Amino acid sequence: MPLLTALVVIPVVAAVIVLLLPRRRPELPLPIGVGLSVLPLALAGYLFAAFQGGTAEFQFVTRAAWYAPWGISWYLGVDGISLPMVVLTALLVPLALAASGMILRRTREFVAAILLLEAGLIGAFLALDLFMFFVFFEAILIPMYFIIGLWGGERRIYAAVKFFLYTAFGSALLLAGIIAMAVIHSRETGALSFAFEDLAALDLGHTTELWLFAAFALAFAIKVPLFPLHTWLPDAHVEAPTGGSVLLAGVLLKLGTYGLIRFNLGLFPQASVDAVPVLTVLAVIGIVYGAVVAIVQPDLKKLVAYSSVSHLGFIVLGTFALTSAGLQGGVIQNVNHGITTGALFLLVGMIYDRRHTKQIADFGGLAKVMPVYAGFFLFTAFASMGLPALNGFVGEFLVLVGSYPAVPVGAIVGAVGVVLAAIYLLWAYERVFTGEPTLPENKALIDLRPREVAVLAPLAVLMLLLGLYPRILLDKIEPSTEAVLDHIETVTGYVAPEPSRPEHLLAEVSG
Amino acid sequence: MTFPQIDWLAIGPELVLAVGAAAVLLLDVTLRPAFPRLGGLAAMAMAAGIGLAIWQWMAWVPAAGQPLPFGGMVVADRLASSGRLLVLVVAALGLATGWSLLAAQGRRAAEALALMLLGTAGFSLMVSTPHLVMMFLGLEIGSLSLYLLAGFSRRERRSDEAAIKYFLLGGLASAVFIYGVSLLFAGTGHLDLGGQGHLLEGTIITTPAVIILGLALVIVGLSFKVSAAPFHSWAPDVYQGAPAGFTGFLAASAKVGGFLALVRILVTAFGPMSADWEPIIAVVATLSMVIGSLGAIVQDDVRRLLAYSGVAHAGFILTGVMAGGQEAASTVWFYLAVYVVQVLGAFAVVAAVSGPESAGSPLSAYRGLSRRSPYLAATFSVLLLGMAGLPLTSGFVAKFGVFQAAWTAGFGWLVVVAVLTSVIALYLYLRVIVAMYMGEAEEDLPLPGTGSDWVPGVAVFATLLFGLLPGPLLDFASHASPL
Repeated sequence: MPLLTALVVIPVVAAVIVLLLPRRRPELPLPIGVGLSVLPLALAGYLFAAFQGGTAEFQFVTRAAWYAPWGISWYLGVDGISLPMVVLTALLVPLALAASGMILRRTREFVAAILLLEAGLIGAFLALDLFMFFVFFEAILIPMYFIIGLWGGERRIYAAVKFFLYTAFGSALLLAGIIAMAVIHSRETGALSFAFEDLAALDLGHTTELWLFAAFALAFAIKVPLFPLHTWLPDAHVEAPTGGSVLLAGVLLKLGTYGLIRFNLGLFPQASVDAVPVLTVLAVIGIVYGAVVAIVQPDLKKLVAYSSVSHLGFIVLGTFALTSAGLQGGVIQNVNHGITTGALFLLVGMIYDRRHTKQIADFGGLAKVMPVYAGFFLFTAFASMGLPALNGFVGEFLVLVGSYPAVPVGAIVGAVGVVLAAIYLLWAYERVFTGEPTLPENKALIDLRPREVAVLAPLAVLMLLLGLYPRILLDKIEPSTEAVLDHIETVTGYVAPEPSRPEHLLAEVSG
Repeated sequence: MTFPQIDWLAIGPELVLAVGAAAVLLLDVTLRPAFPRLGGLAAMAMAAGIGLAIWQWMAWVPAAGQPLPFGGMVVADRLASSGRLLVLVVAALGLATGWSLLAAQGRRAAEALALMLLGTAGFSLMVSTPHLVMMFLGLEIGSLSLYLLAGFSRRERRSDEAAIKYFLLGGLASAVFIYGVSLLFAGTGHLDLGGQGHLLEGTIITTPAVIILGLALVIVGLSFKVSAAPFHSWAPDVYQGAPAGFTGFLAASAKVGGFLALVRILVTAFGPMSADWEPIIAVVATLSMVIGSLGAIVQDDVRRLLAYSGVAHAGFILTGVMAGGQEAASTVWFYLAVYVVQVLGAFAVVAAVSGPESAGSPLSAYRGLSRRSPYLAATFSVLLLGMAGLPLTSGFVAKFGVFQAAWTAGFGWLVVVAVLTSVIALYLYLRVIVAMYMGEAEEDLPLPGTGSDWVPGVAVFATLLFGLLPGPLLDFASHASPL
């Protein structure tokens, strides 16, 4: 079986295996699920190692006709933009599962839902046929809907339905847009096709291109979520179980930013250039709004959720600066945010498991009773707010440097978000961890167990690694982002004002 | 004088079904066999019909210009044979779902069996005739059987109400249909689609008003039968009141007959007049999708909900009709094939949850179904997601085919309406799933069951199989062309 097909199929098989476990052994599904999800991780690791840097070509391409008269094929491939996302997904799934020990009801179904979600996510990142992309993009709603609706908090049903309908609305127009492109392809060439490169080669005409850009952008903006389409996110996050939140913030939202980069920039270059002001404004509003709302949240999980709105705004800002530094920053920030926010949700989940509350006011002085926990939290918070030498810094720095020459006001206002991030994270840290523990419940808390440390440690290592040596990722990302920008330049003649080369800058900052 | 060519095999499926119905009735009064034997006989008649339809599909290589069997009363094309196949599959699944209901009817079981067989014969005829009067006969034979089946229960008063309502409105619809046929005859001088088509192609008609009016009335009549808005008002009451074991058959068979007849009329004889009927179909399609999706939101009975979902689906199917020509026939056939199996499976679940003779299935009865019967809850969920058209199910492929064909034909706006209403419709399917998985049952009564629990399983299998690998069925559908 081709490597990429295996990456999609193995989680499905694993889900079936988990579902077939005996009902009477509720302790089995979780460890077996974690064990099985290491397989895709190993494959993803191999993929990362075997991936050739220095070329923008899609690699490991596999293609088989699915229904030839409609021009649809099982068509997968990986490039520098999708590679980090695939690895991130494969990494977060075992951790999300390992942190789901509190799921006691219907464990089999929960593990299976997470594994199916993994298959859908990896499939969506790898799909080079827009029909297949849509199938994955839409299919992941089903497991996520059940994850929130069955294992979520009190208002889980409301949150699950809202999540489903919001995103389904976006993808409905995406479907119409995809069909329209295939029909245009058939008018130009006589045959339907959904293959990415075929559709990218179409001459759409300016008006059509703008409409299609809007349809795609709406679907992805809801997913990101871009202000003002973000209202489903806090509900979904707060109600989702820890494992669900980790994957929701860590990977699912990235489908939106990934879609904007791959499809909006790739298929509609002229419209992308035209849309720069609109998307920059929305991104900047999202950065500031998300951060300001995060500051005043009394609920720790909601705080992290709103911080996602803010961070994802950075990614969109960098992407639509259309500069190499900005776009690279966007792609790498996709990964960074997945790691740091994934870790933050895991941390919130760990304290929730102990205290069954997420209210900041219910804590205080935890650093005294749970020093290891406090250490991990502070480290992750530093990474999230972009402290130099940690991963968040690299992404935000590239985004700001990349967007300043192109959209200076956007970059300046966006930089405020970095300051605000420090405020909401450090203030939350202060209220939760510093001082003396006052409440008796907090005095008896147990520090992190070895298993929990094992879940957090890989993420912490990555935060440091990607902060100190981002080249391991950037080298693989750069050719692909350059190719996207070259494509825009050849089609539209638009060249965004570039800062000096990003690696020089990076060399200056990280020594 | 020339005698019409008698080709018994051309009406093989209908013959088998009619003979089966007669045999069931006669055996019942002479030998008085136990129900399973009578039911077995009916099942064998349906199986033989399926066999004959498959034979017809393989043997009839479409060729224009051949003399039609029975002097032009039947047509030997693949839309006919594939349509018959669909009608018969619906009947077979319907019989399976209604089995325990039939068995409980005692001596009346033979009547119901005969009605199912005759109704199937009627719709089977309806999809395989190019002659409008014959089509009307098929429609009436089928519809009359359905009216009686809707009112078959003697215990439920709502069943009587459903039957009367269905009969009165259905009779009106038939009258509208036949009036339209008479206007078409007045305008063209022909009752068969072939003759009408020749006339329309060969002549410059200066005043086609009477033809357009006739066509409009025919469309209205058939829209009643397939429960397309705004002619859908009977459907929720009838689906709710009819015995649960028969509702799926009732809902599915009328849709197959009505839609395939509509496709035959619109794409063969009146294909050249597409500019005249497209606005009518577009309006009916839009109304159906919008009213069906919005109307379902406020329903608290699963059967009414499925009825409104059926209205919305009628709209999606009509969107496929807009494609015109061969594309319309194949996409509509594929959509119907996918949808009727889901509907039958869904009503099999309804019958199992509420009891096969029950009238009404309040949504509250589905709360916590996932604990009372994980199998039924899981199958129902897959079928509902299939109806919602989510990827990996055949429902998505069917919708995709319809959208793609309609967009190719230049009706992008209709596709946009369709995708947006399908999101609204998603909510209604989610409501049921929420009730089943996230609601708590009020009381843990055992489920009535139907004894035919394999029906939803088969429907789920088909839904997933043709969702993942639709190629063969799409190829099959692409041959379903009218002569």
